[in-house]
Formats: sequence, C-alpha cells, structure tokens
Amino acid sequence: MISADNLKLTFGKGTPLENPALRGMSLTVNQGEFVTVIGSNGAGKSTFLNALAGEVIVDSGRIEVDGQDVTRLPTHKRARRVARVFQDPLAGTCEGLSIEENLALAIKRGQRRGLTSAVKRSYMERFRAALAKLNLGLESRLGDKMGLLSGGQRQAVSLLMASLTPSSILLLDEHTAALDPKTAAFVLELTQDIIAEQKLTALMVTHSMKQALEVGDRTVMLHQGQVVFDIAGPERKGLEVKDLLDLFEKQRGLEVEDDSLLLG
Amino acid sequence: MPGLLQPCERPLMLSQIAFFGAVETGLIYGLVAFGIYISFRVLDFPDLTVDGSFPLGAAVAAVLIIAGWNPWLATGMAIVAGMAAGAVTALLNVKLGILNLLASILTMIALYSVNLRVMGGPNVPLLMQDTVVTWWDSLLPPEYYFLAPVLLFVVVTAIVLVLLWRFMKSEIGLSMRATGANPRMARAQGIATGAMVVLGVALSNGLVGLAGALVAQSQGAADVTMGVGVIVIGLASLIGGEAVISPTSVLRALLACVVGAIIYRLAIAFALNADVLGLGAQDLNLITAILVTLAIVLPGFRTRVQARMTRNKA
Repeated sequence: MISADNLKLTFGKGTPLENPALRGMSLTVNQGEFVTVIGSNGAGKSTFLNALAGEVIVDSGRIEVDGQDVTRLPTHKRARRVARVFQDPLAGTCEGLSIEENLALAIKRGQRRGLTSAVKRSYMERFRAALAKLNLGLESRLGDKMGLLSGGQRQAVSLLMASLTPSSILLLDEHTAALDPKTAAFVLELTQDIIAEQKLTALMVTHSMKQALEVGDRTVMLHQGQVVFDIAGPERKGLEVKDLLDLFEKQRGLEVEDDSLLLG
Repeated sequence: MPGLLQPCERPLMLSQIAFFGAVETGLIYGLVAFGIYISFRVLDFPDLTVDGSFPLGAAVAAVLIIAGWNPWLATGMAIVAGMAAGAVTALLNVKLGILNLLASILTMIALYSVNLRVMGGPNVPLLMQDTVVTWWDSLLPPEYYFLAPVLLFVVVTAIVLVLLWRFMKSEIGLSMRATGANPRMARAQGIATGAMVVLGVALSNGLVGLAGALVAQSQGAADVTMGVGVIVIGLASLIGGEAVISPTSVLRALLACVVGAIIYRLAIAFALNADVLGLGAQDLNLITAILVTLAIVLPGFRTRVQARMTRNKA
C-alpha cells in the first residue's frame, strides 16, 4: 500500500521560471490495486512518480509505503519497497552489462550487497524461467550484453527486473510510450500478466485515455498538480474516452487542449 | 630484441637493462592504469587526483621506511593514504556538488602541499634502506640484479589484477559498475550511488598510491615532482591497451591496462633509444601526447577503412 497526502513541490522557487508541479496531490493505492494515471503534459504525472520513488523530495506533505513514512528517504533507501520501470527503454538496464548481470542487480534490489559473486549459479534457474516467459529466446542468451537487445526487448527485461523481487508498489512511467505499436502492445500485455500473476500493487502513468480505461482497475486523472478525478469499480466499467473527456471538462470547466490525450 | 638472459654484446635496439627497465616501469604503471580504469571507465569519473596521490604514496612509504617501518607495512600505509586522497575528491563531488574534474584538481593541488609536509622537503632519498625490492635482490644472482624489481612487480600486479577482477564480479563491484553506467537505474535498484563513487575513487587512488610507493622504492627516492603527468601516462596505457585488447569483459579490460602500460613504456624506450630519431628525454611529453593521440584515433580509423572496403565490395 502506498499513500500520498497533500504533496506540494515547486521547481525553481523564487526564480522567474517558478513552476508548481505538485499542488496538494493526495492519493492512496490499496494493496493489490492496479491504478492507471492520466493527465496532460505538465499535469505532474512524472513528478508525482519521481516523488514516490524518491528521485525528487517534496516541499511538504507525507508519503507512506506500507505505513512507513518515506517522505524524506532517498531513492536507494526506498528501493526495497518501490520498484520502477522508466519511460526510456534504455534507462532501466545497463547496456554494458550482460543480461544475467542486470538480473543479478535486480534480484538484490534494496538488499545488502556483499563481496560474494554477484551472478550466482543458484540464480540461473530462476533467471531462465523468468526470461522464458517473455518468449523472446533470451533464456539462452544470459551472457549477452544488454546493449545487443532491441528497445522492446530491453523494456520487457526491465519489467521482469522490477518484478523479480517483491515490492509494495510497482511504478510504471509511460513505459510503453517510446515503443512501436506492436512492441508496446506486447509490453503492455506482459505488464498485465505479471501484475495479475504476482498480484502486484501498481501505478501506471499513460498518455492514452483508451489504455487508461482498458487496463487496470482504477483510473486517476491529474491536472495542475492535483487529482481531479478518481474512478473505479462498475462506474468505470462502462466508461469510454468520450465520457472521460466530458467528466474532465465538467470537473474543471476547461477544454482539453492536449490532442495527444485523444489519440491512441 | 636481445637474447633474454644472455648478456648482449651489441644492443640492436634496446639494451637488456633498458628493456627490463621499460617492463618494470610498465608493470607499475599497469597499477596506475587499473586505478584510471576504475575512475574513468567503471565510474565515468574523470579523476586527476592521481597526479597528487602517486607522489603521496611515494612520500608516505619513503618517510615511514626511513622511520624504520617494515617496508611492506609502509607500502600498505601508502595505499591507505592514496585511498584517503581519493575519498576527499569523491566527497567534494558527492557531498558538496563540485564538478568531478574540478574536485580532483582541487585535491591534486592541495596534495602538493601535503606531500611537501609529509616529506619535510622536496624529496626523501631511500639509499641503503631496506625496501620491498631489496629482499628480492637477495633471491637473484648479483649479475641479474636488474630483474629483481621486475619479478616483484609481476607478482604484485598479478595479485592486484586477480583481486580487482574478483571484486568487479562481486555484488558490490557490480553495483559500482552499474553506478557508472546508469546511476538512475542503480539508485532504483537500491544502490547508494554516492557511496559507490567514494569507494571507487578511493580504491582507484589507493592503487595509484601503491604504484607511487613501489616506484619510490625501486628508484631509491620519493620526489614531490614525480607525479607530474601520471594521469596522462596512465590514460595512455589504458587507451593503448584497449586498442590492442578490446575490453569486452572486466578481465580483458584489466589485462589491457597491463599490456597497454608495458607497450607504452617499450614504445617510449625505443623512441628515446633510436638515434636516427634524435629524440631525448626532454621530448618525453611530446612523444606521450603523440602516442595517446594515435591510440585514440587509430581504432576509429581502422573501422572507417573497413567500412569503405565493404562498401566497395557491395
């Protein structure tokens, strides 16, 4: 479970470029919930995820993971509970390291590391089994450098790495946005499978309203650093992109100007 | 090349002593290249501290040996001193947010004063002192005295190479490699990237301090100016080695450091030895700069030529 309470964060405070990214963002994600997050550019989606992960520290407010206050903790101290997949397929893995070395880094996420060999023989079976599920033939290429893989393959492995050890929340930051449509569909399907199979708690930022409604079991829309609506259950079932837009306009009395929200 | 162990009558290119002298220095600079591999390649942290930590290692070892310490213990303290210098650079960068290159220049400048303080003057001679080299001298027949440091440095370099290789394959070593390659990903995996930078830069300068201590003992003196250009020589060794042995794995990268350092030293020795070229010791830095440039440019040139060849075939 993760809860954010009244998060506020302003970039470039006291400068002409002052930008309030979070203006009282509150959201609680319950155990086993799969929440999709939408919002136009500048709504604060990425900042919110970065705040949850610890990449940025909020000015005020409180973040709890499993009841523990993590508001001031840096990223690496939250990593045990918070798993993450980035938008950039190249960002989640190290291209100079082999597939098995990348997985070995992930299997120790948030745990103490010592001087024993990083890639242990006892991991191999687990790595192979996990990679085999991707159906990309990677289970026989454990020693290959990550850089030899395509963007889609690397994103699939990133997803695998994020789910290799248990987490309290999995943060997905538009992780299919930089992929071609076919690969994006593959990675999205994989995401749903993994989340369902391991009963993960997940927060997925997406740029596509359609995707936000089709995937997961709750949808949250952000606007100007706040949650403007939060919809789940039967109410969400019958909803279409058009309804979502109407809802948004009604809530805010605003026209949606960002075309990219309508596409996809 | 002269016959390896027979006294040679007419040195064709390099005298035996010059040859082994080059190998000896090459092996020590292999240690420097290991250090530079850790900072420049593993951590992506351009670190010039080495120009100060090299004479620091020499100074600490020399002063302690003069004070009657066991030379091995004194050499160990030189490693510790080098690590401390590296840690200062890394902390300036990680904790105070000073640009890495600038942080290392600050430490390097500061070390010049520190080294003068440590030695109480610009140099400390080690003549007639028991050093790590003298024990090896006694193992060999007197006419092969010049081989003693070579043997010692082969052993030291080999041990360091194996230890470093195992370390880079360990959980902490892998975390360090991830920190340099992709810090954002490393943090997301729970790696304290700041601590890894401190550890890595400290380790790097510890190795350079070791090299400085060994040079002081094999040459019989520590001198405050002996660190000038160590960074360039180390980089030349690293880049030259990578041009010969492509560093596709950690082991190959480490071997490249040693091979590069020896090739570099031999190349310098040949260049200075060949009378036709008319070069002298004063040209050393110019030759180094030319060699480094060639080592950087040649591999790229080779791929360009290959690309042209395949294009012509098609």
